[in-house]
Amino acid sequence: MSEALHFAEHTLQEATLVIMAIVYTSRLVWLFRRFKAGKERQGPTGAPNTTPRKGFLYSWAIIGMPWVMESSRTKPIMYGTFVIFHLGVVLAIAESFIIPYGASMLAANPWLATLIQVSTGAACAVGVFRIIRRVSDSNMRAISSPDDYFSLVLLTVWFAFASLSAPNQGVPEWVLLTYFWMTAFFLLYVPFSKISHYLYYPITRYYLGKSLGNRGVYPIVPSAPGYGESTAK
Amino acid sequence: MSTQVRSYKANKVLERLTKKVNRQIAGTMLACVHCGQCTDSCHYVQTNPGDHTFVPAWKADRVRKLFKRHMDWTGRVIPWWVKAGSVYTDEELEELKDIVFGKCTNCRRCTLNCPMGVDFATMNRMARGLLVSVGIMPEGVAVVSKDQWEIGNQMGVLKEDYLDTLEWMEEELRSDLDDPTVEIPVDKEDCEVVYTINPREAKYDPRTISDAAKIFHVAGENWTMPSEGWDMTNFGLFSGDDDLGGAVARRVYEAVVRLRGKKLVISECGHGYRSTRCEGPNWGGVDLPFEAESSVLTMLRYIKEGRIKVDPSKNDFSVTFHDSCNNARSCGLFEEPRELLNLVTSDFREMYPNRAENYCCTGGGGAMSMSEYAPMRLKSAKVKADQLAATGAEYVVTSCHNCVDGLNDLIKHYKLPMKVTQLVNLVADALVIEPAKASVVVEKKPEAAPAVDETPTVAAALPLEGRKILVIDDEPDIRTFLSTVLEDNGASVLTAGNGDEGMEKARAERPDLITLDLNMPGRDGGQIYSAIRADEDLKDIPVVIITGKPELRKLIYDKDVRRPEGYLDKPVKEDTLLTNVRKVLEVGADDVN
Repeated sequence: MSEALHFAEHTLQEATLVIMAIVYTSRLVWLFRRFKAGKERQGPTGAPNTTPRKGFLYSWAIIGMPWVMESSRTKPIMYGTFVIFHLGVVLAIAESFIIPYGASMLAANPWLATLIQVSTGAACAVGVFRIIRRVSDSNMRAISSPDDYFSLVLLTVWFAFASLSAPNQGVPEWVLLTYFWMTAFFLLYVPFSKISHYLYYPITRYYLGKSLGNRGVYPIVPSAPGYGESTAK
Repeated sequence: MSTQVRSYKANKVLERLTKKVNRQIAGTMLACVHCGQCTDSCHYVQTNPGDHTFVPAWKADRVRKLFKRHMDWTGRVIPWWVKAGSVYTDEELEELKDIVFGKCTNCRRCTLNCPMGVDFATMNRMARGLLVSVGIMPEGVAVVSKDQWEIGNQMGVLKEDYLDTLEWMEEELRSDLDDPTVEIPVDKEDCEVVYTINPREAKYDPRTISDAAKIFHVAGENWTMPSEGWDMTNFGLFSGDDDLGGAVARRVYEAVVRLRGKKLVISECGHGYRSTRCEGPNWGGVDLPFEAESSVLTMLRYIKEGRIKVDPSKNDFSVTFHDSCNNARSCGLFEEPRELLNLVTSDFREMYPNRAENYCCTGGGGAMSMSEYAPMRLKSAKVKADQLAATGAEYVVTSCHNCVDGLNDLIKHYKLPMKVTQLVNLVADALVIEPAKASVVVEKKPEAAPAVDETPTVAAALPLEGRKILVIDDEPDIRTFLSTVLEDNGASVLTAGNGDEGMEKARAERPDLITLDLNMPGRDGGQIYSAIRADEDLKDIPVVIITGKPELRKLIYDKDVRRPEGYLDKPVKEDTLLTNVRKVLEVGADDVN
């Protein structure tokens, strides 16, 4: 391993991880200290078996229940691409730890490298699909900022290099170097971009779920079918 | 950009934004990833394909950009990168007004379809509040808010008119039930139930009050209505003005406390229920020392407890149910109205989608009071019209007065063979009243419907004897119908086929009441109405608007002139016409013969 690759896999990653942790921490401190949470005073409404606690737990889990939200239920392909894309993110991040600190795992378990390669490769394909959608759909164009395009392109290219780097052994060094430098950039850029949305997901969903749980809206009862037919008992 | 001068109002909006954003809203500002999943959930988008200005994320970004530019990190340093921006002029604030008031009904459908839990509707309400705080709002919102601040209810109903209406409905009910003991108690202390209503009921739909009173009476309830703090609606919800919201809610709560009531019952009104039951305690900073519930739950409980008996075969037409956004998506009131409907009707059909996924009536979020956006509202109502038509039902039932008006408008606009009604009307119509007993048990399997004498008592008694009524309408069939009904009830009727002829006859004959169509060739009814109100000799003649044109609903909300005494939607039913005309002329049951 060259000195440059060693630096990229270890020193660079560790430094950027520390910076990211500091930025994220200060971000959360800002969010929690600067903004006071609104208080819910009213008593519960809706079905008696719903509570604020059940509401926020349900709200956190909603992303894994595509049948619940109409926007997921009626667009299974979009939901599928969401799953592939985010699975790709998880495995590409995991890869950035496995290669420097557990390369023997990859050598001993060729299926693991294959899994990462296929998943990040699929995520890369989804990334391309998403870029095309964002560019070709006028509504998507209208709501997109430079950060949206850049983040998507960044991730798509990063997926490609994560896929190529996954076997580690026998991978050209420039590919690995690119992957690790991109990972480092990714770690530095994320807190300032929309990619940091995963930091806010638990917070927005907690408050929304707590309120809707208190009001009996969560858990959602999907629309009953049978319109046009009498449902009289 | 930094050297651009910012207007006073823009400065105030930004200053207040920084104080107004709480953690929930901050999360909503930060979490959107522009995934586009909310897009198709909005009825405005579905009816305006290709117009990105209706996309929820785009609309949200008009507000979000301010947060990013003035409060968030990246937007402060490199605003163009995240489309952060500011506002500088009053014109920009006016443009924002058209988005947050005109292009969103705060129905919350996009909120429930956002994977990130971004609550756009709440953020939109906050933006409305910021604009209202600097006086930028639709005229109707301003007028209604002023009335709620000053007079205590959103339709400017004076206390004496409200009490007169209650008294009049009490007389009607006594006559209807042939029972002189029936009461609509006012300010009675230590009751089980304090009943609050939407001023629309007192002003334009008093039958809902008498129907509720009938149900309370038959159930043997110890109930009352307050003389102050009776309006449970709250324009603070629509305008985003938390101060107004808190003041109006507290007024209702104080009435219940003053009367030492045990339970506050809120009549069928989506935004009223949400405001009074859920948001009011937050805005007013009070914890309720009493129970509060929707009248839907009250009526259902009466049936379950056997306090009233109902016969579903009395409502032998097909019905579907429209979930009000505020009741369903914000308060979880899904199953109770359906349970009640199945008990009081014989042919209930679900519409699809329903419950939390239902589409807005398209008149929500205060849209009914913003006449400038009516054409856009009615266009967006196509989604709802298709949804209603697919059920094939004869009636659409809803537990919301706002939805009643919104649905009536779209039914007329899209010419659907359907009528709108509320649960209180259906329950009252389905009541089985035994002569010697006011409370009985629920019939699970109703027997054949007893014969019901549907002939209005008032009609046989010539209640309008000696009254002169001028009917102004350009449609000969409508003129004939109105004249016949009024003449059959004793009135002397004059007719006019257009506004100018109507004005002439009004000046010559000085009628006791004018019924006025709004959509007429030449000077339309709106202009004629203004002319009547401006004429020294005619201005005190009561006017009942009878219209099929939803756009002219503005006469109720945003005219500087006095509101009409009555407002009826075409097609108007005989008993509705008579009830309203008699109410306006103050012809009670005791006056008959």
